[in-house]
Amino acid sequence: MRFPRNILVIGLSLFFMVTAPGGRVVAAPAEPLAVVRQAVDSILVIMQDKKLSGAAKKEERRKRISVVVGGYFDFEEMSMRTLARHWKDRTPEERKQFVGLFRQLLERTYIDKVDNYCRELDASCTGKVVVFKRQEQQGNKAVVYTVFVRNNVETPVEYKLKNEAGKWQVYDVVIEGVSLVRNYRTQFESIITREQFSGLIVKMEEKIKKGEPMENARK
Amino acid sequence: MNCRKGIVVVAGLFVALLGGMRTAPVQAAADPYYVDDMASANEVNGAAIADPLEPVNRFFFEFNDRLYFWVLKPVSTGYSNVVAEDVRMSIRDFFHNLLAPVRIVNNLLQGKMKNTATEVGRFVINSTLGVAGFGDPAKNEFGLERKEEDLGQTLGVYGAGEGFYICWPLLGPSSLRDTVGLAGDSFLNPLAYVMASDFGAGAGAYGGREVNNTSLTLGDYEDFKEAAFDPYLAVRDAYQQYRRNKVIDASQNGSLYKEQTSGEKQP
Repeated sequence: MRFPRNILVIGLSLFFMVTAPGGRVVAAPAEPLAVVRQAVDSILVIMQDKKLSGAAKKEERRKRISVVVGGYFDFEEMSMRTLARHWKDRTPEERKQFVGLFRQLLERTYIDKVDNYCRELDASCTGKVVVFKRQEQQGNKAVVYTVFVRNNVETPVEYKLKNEAGKWQVYDVVIEGVSLVRNYRTQFESIITREQFSGLIVKMEEKIKKGEPMENARK
Repeated sequence: MNCRKGIVVVAGLFVALLGGMRTAPVQAAADPYYVDDMASANEVNGAAIADPLEPVNRFFFEFNDRLYFWVLKPVSTGYSNVVAEDVRMSIRDFFHNLLAPVRIVNNLLQGKMKNTATEVGRFVINSTLGVAGFGDPAKNEFGLERKEEDLGQTLGVYGAGEGFYICWPLLGPSSLRDTVGLAGDSFLNPLAYVMASDFGAGAGAYGGREVNNTSLTLGDYEDFKEAAFDPYLAVRDAYQQYRRNKVIDASQNGSLYKEQTSGEKQP
């Protein structure tokens, strides 16, 4: 009861969030907040595209969102932070494999959540659900503060970004203080300790596979 | 009443123990992949919460999991089909308003005078204009945002470590410190008094609240589980992060909420 289950839970499912933005086109893409807003806007455009609506176009929607997400999220940084001390023991091939699987897994899990959530909220996904608050910058790192509103409950969501070669990319999402990266880190650490890195890879592949038949069943 | 006295004694002992039970310093801090210079205010780095009771905790996690799928979910689903969503949100606000004394006292205990005043104001406005707490005019009309505090957080602010992780049957995730906090807060919780005088009525009220609140978040637990590799660990870690964040008020220390209370809602 004192641990609002909903908060975490929605939180983690809102990795790729959808919003009704205040201003559409942002002029200064160099600003971290603008980058996050752009990412969200781009996803929104796909969600609202009439040509892409309906269950039949789900796969197409997902592919397009995946492309957008790839531009705004730094999956390698994310993987590195998630594997933490185990990252440096990995060969370049292993790292590449892990980044690929982790990305697939996150996308499979969360894009569908946003998709479903959007339909549930309202058909065109225009409800005012995300408020962009402000940003904080420290060298090449930044945090963008947003608030997610659902059922009159406000949930703080923070995006962490890193600037590499002039480009801001998200490497973690923190919801009500719960870091997505750290949450997976804890789980992966325990799996690697018991079943080695290879065991983790097997588990990831299984999980990705398990998501597929459900996907087809829903169509 | 004996039971209550017992709780106080036990609580006192626990608090005494807590000082010595602070979690070990970050063993992995030296690892460059952990280091995050923007983590200061937001991310809680550090070791995982101690979990000496893991087998027992996992058992009750399973128990709660089944309780959710077998009882809570079907009942809440049926309930949500019958009762309109805005009514359910009002009921949720009503139960939330009942716990205002907990928030007021704990804001005070933490020396947060402005937030104490805010919570007092919220309680007065919502209990009157909000018709016994069923509405939230304090926020909607006066721009007074919630200032959530509880005894577990207060103890944390005072320097008590979290102790170790406990997954209670029915209540779910907690820690030693937060359990002590919960016991203490029960003295300010009207539902606990109802429960003490009439167990059936109290249990009914708690159950009703749980069903009502669950009906507004159906599907969330399922999503969370689906995204996790080890749901038990995922919940445990999320709980630890969530509570540590609450203790240090990371989200509120950012000007996240200041903007809302001062900037908007100008008449």
